[in-house]
Amino acid sequence: MFDVIILFITDLLAFFGIYLMLNTALNIERGYAGIPNFGLLFSYAGGAYITGHLTAKIAILLTGAKVEADPITQPVSALMVLNPILASNPLISITLLIIILLIGASFGALLGLIQLGPAIRLREDYLAITLLALGEVMNYIAIAYKPFINGSLGVQVPDVFSWLGSRYRFYLATGIILLIAFILYIYAEFLGRTPLGRAMKAIRENEIAAVSLGKSLTRYRAIAMIIGSAFTGVAGSLWTLYSGAITPTLQRFDWTFLPWLMIFLGGIGNNLGVALGTFIFVLINRLIIFNKHLLAGVLPFDIVWFDYISLGLIMGLILIYRPQGILPEKPYIPKNIRRKIVVSRSQE
Amino acid sequence: MINMIETLISGITYSSLLSLMALGITLLYRTTKVPNFAHASFVVFGIYTSYTLALLGYNPYLGTLLGFIVSGIIALILFYALLEPLRRRKSSIFILMMATLTYDILMFGIINIYADYLQTTFKIPARNVYLAPQDFTLIGLKGVTIVSTSLLIVLLMLLYILLNRTIIGAALRAVMENPSLAQANGINVSLMLALSWFLAGGLAGVAGALLPMYMMTDPSTGMLLIAPMFCASILGGLEQIYGAPLGGFILGLATTVLVSWLSGVIGYWIMTYSLMVPYITLIITLIFIPRGVVSIILKR
Amino acid sequence: MLVIEKLNSGYGKLHVLYDVSLTAKRKEITAALGPNGAGKTTLLNSIFGLADIYSGSIELDDERLNKMPPHMISRRGVSYVFQLMNIFPNLTVEENLRLVARFSGMNHKDIENSLKEIYDLFPILKERRRQVAGTLSGGERQMLAISIGLIKRPRLLLLDEPTAGLAVRYVDMLIEKILEMKKTMDMIILLVEQNVHKALKIADKVYVLVSGRIIFEGTPSELVNKEDIAKMYLGVG
Repeated sequence: MFDVIILFITDLLAFFGIYLMLNTALNIERGYAGIPNFGLLFSYAGGAYITGHLTAKIAILLTGAKVEADPITQPVSALMVLNPILASNPLISITLLIIILLIGASFGALLGLIQLGPAIRLREDYLAITLLALGEVMNYIAIAYKPFINGSLGVQVPDVFSWLGSRYRFYLATGIILLIAFILYIYAEFLGRTPLGRAMKAIRENEIAAVSLGKSLTRYRAIAMIIGSAFTGVAGSLWTLYSGAITPTLQRFDWTFLPWLMIFLGGIGNNLGVALGTFIFVLINRLIIFNKHLLAGVLPFDIVWFDYISLGLIMGLILIYRPQGILPEKPYIPKNIRRKIVVSRSQE
Repeated sequence: MINMIETLISGITYSSLLSLMALGITLLYRTTKVPNFAHASFVVFGIYTSYTLALLGYNPYLGTLLGFIVSGIIALILFYALLEPLRRRKSSIFILMMATLTYDILMFGIINIYADYLQTTFKIPARNVYLAPQDFTLIGLKGVTIVSTSLLIVLLMLLYILLNRTIIGAALRAVMENPSLAQANGINVSLMLALSWFLAGGLAGVAGALLPMYMMTDPSTGMLLIAPMFCASILGGLEQIYGAPLGGFILGLATTVLVSWLSGVIGYWIMTYSLMVPYITLIITLIFIPRGVVSIILKR
Repeated sequence: MLVIEKLNSGYGKLHVLYDVSLTAKRKEITAALGPNGAGKTTLLNSIFGLADIYSGSIELDDERLNKMPPHMISRRGVSYVFQLMNIFPNLTVEENLRLVARFSGMNHKDIENSLKEIYDLFPILKERRRQVAGTLSGGERQMLAISIGLIKRPRLLLLDEPTAGLAVRYVDMLIEKILEMKKTMDMIILLVEQNVHKALKIADKVYVLVSGRIIFEGTPSELVNKEDIAKMYLGVG
């Protein structure tokens, strides 16, 4: 019984960590720079798939192991050699992890820039269309270009979390995911308070005013997109590493719509709100999944569709009744100005 | 040579269907100022309308009429349940876009449940809706080619007459140009917008009803076509309704005929990348002619 | 006659007008003046159903306008000429006028008569009848915008700062035309203006609105004599 609870919590926290990263990224792009990124899937899948492609190859380089099988088309054979080495070598495992995450971040950032390229000067609506359309492309490429991740079959990746022993593998993985999510969250908070962050928010509020003040729309959008997409790429990487395998079937529903739902639920622009919204959602979602068999008896149809319909309805309700979310955004006022306001108020 | 003609015919069919879809998107963008991400669902409801008719023993082409109505109603529900309340509240375009995306998700769930229901009730695969084998042939052309092209022409003419020769059309145009001024002059803007949603949904429904006669379809077909639909609209030019069929044909023919010709020249492997054509076209359009082909034509 | 009694209105939670009472008679120009942000446009919006009315009544010839949607109010014979975006830029001058006339349900003969009256009032528009409205100069645009309001022969004409941003000669000319309209047409004119001098020249009755409240009601000469108000809020005298 206890084991089941521990398992549930670990799984919950891992999902929470991954989604927290994604939603923080989305919040930076939307909440800070006003970019309606409906194509989150593009960078996420990019990070996930590039990890699928490169982890084994880099592992081979790092360990110097002799692997005859091609890790893409014959992952099982390749991993039979690689995994034991990684399991007994924490240093190499961690190095591999860090390298892969950096690659995921860079690739994600690059994809973000590609998405933004033609759209960088576009109005909100054109931008949204472009990003939404591009979201699907990564899956197409992964399926069509077999050397990437073996087409629709997908690949398995070496286990970088096994060096504490197989018993603690999931705890370690979850722990690392949470750690990275936390670091990124802190960075996002920090970003919001810097002049850069505040400039971004100014643009989001009123593009014309901000541009007339000399803020370069293009530049700030690009920066927000790069940072956000880098986070997204890292999240995708971690997803693949956590799952141990990846197939080119990542869905827009899971990795674009749900993140939007979570940040709307929690409150756009407010990082704490986003974290709260993410946690509430993931908790409920995991509870439902865990008790799938119970619900399956009750519902006359597949639980997957129930997911779509109920979440669609919830989002509709949020949009109509509380679009600002649970924790609405509070403008950040720098300390020196805050002091002046307090002083002038006390003089009234 | 025969192959090229076949590809051309197939291309014309695809272009006609794409144009019908893009017409709705451009119409909605002009009236409600919002890109409608739920258009995918409008199309899918059309697909399953004609499929249901076929299963019940009727001629699936009746699905064009029924599909128009069904999808039109689905569009109206989106309008009155989500968009109109948000519009009255002067919600931002972003929120409206989010609302259309939400509705798309909702409808996707519903149509999938329906597909499952068909599967269990009729004991046939409802995720492989392909009615082409049942299509008729006339003067060497497949039924779907004749019907889709002629329907496109007829609907375009009807649309033109509506917009330019009727008072409702004048009201619609006024709403497209300046909604507050239209309202200030006695036009019920809300009703006109609802009309545009019904029409756009209807057009998508017609296209969807014809799709199974052309290609393999399933509930996800709508999502697959979102990129080509929007690309066709943007390519044609979102500022002019008649840009949609223009963009539809340019993109449609590029996707079919151009790629086919290239595969003969460069190599067959390029066919797997035919899915990339809308995206590449979209990017090129946004860089070089962001206001669409229509803007080039109108300049002269 | 337009009768507004103790009107409290605003937008959502933003309360703009407080206990505003006002009357405007036929064949008279009633002006609402005041500094920026005083609520003048909100007053017009409230009459036309574009603002939220918390309490009070708005009656035109004893007919309550409170709960009506804007397009119905328009059909009841109220024309609202906005300050900006008040024409259909892609249509010609004449198309603008005919389109609007059609919507108000006028028959062919009435449209032709009304059109003639407007061309008599604004000969420039007749000259430019086939010109695309978006290419008109600022003053010509305002003339067209006002004509759009006039063509259906309204009972009540609401003008929101018609001379704003116009070159001086257009301002004078427009003011004269508004005076002409008052004399030749049988309607109530409610004029919101920033240009106090010009407004006082033609107004029969003046209301001064400050921070959402009426602080003065009377004739232009009475206002000029009340130096404190005139100077402080209107920069006159």
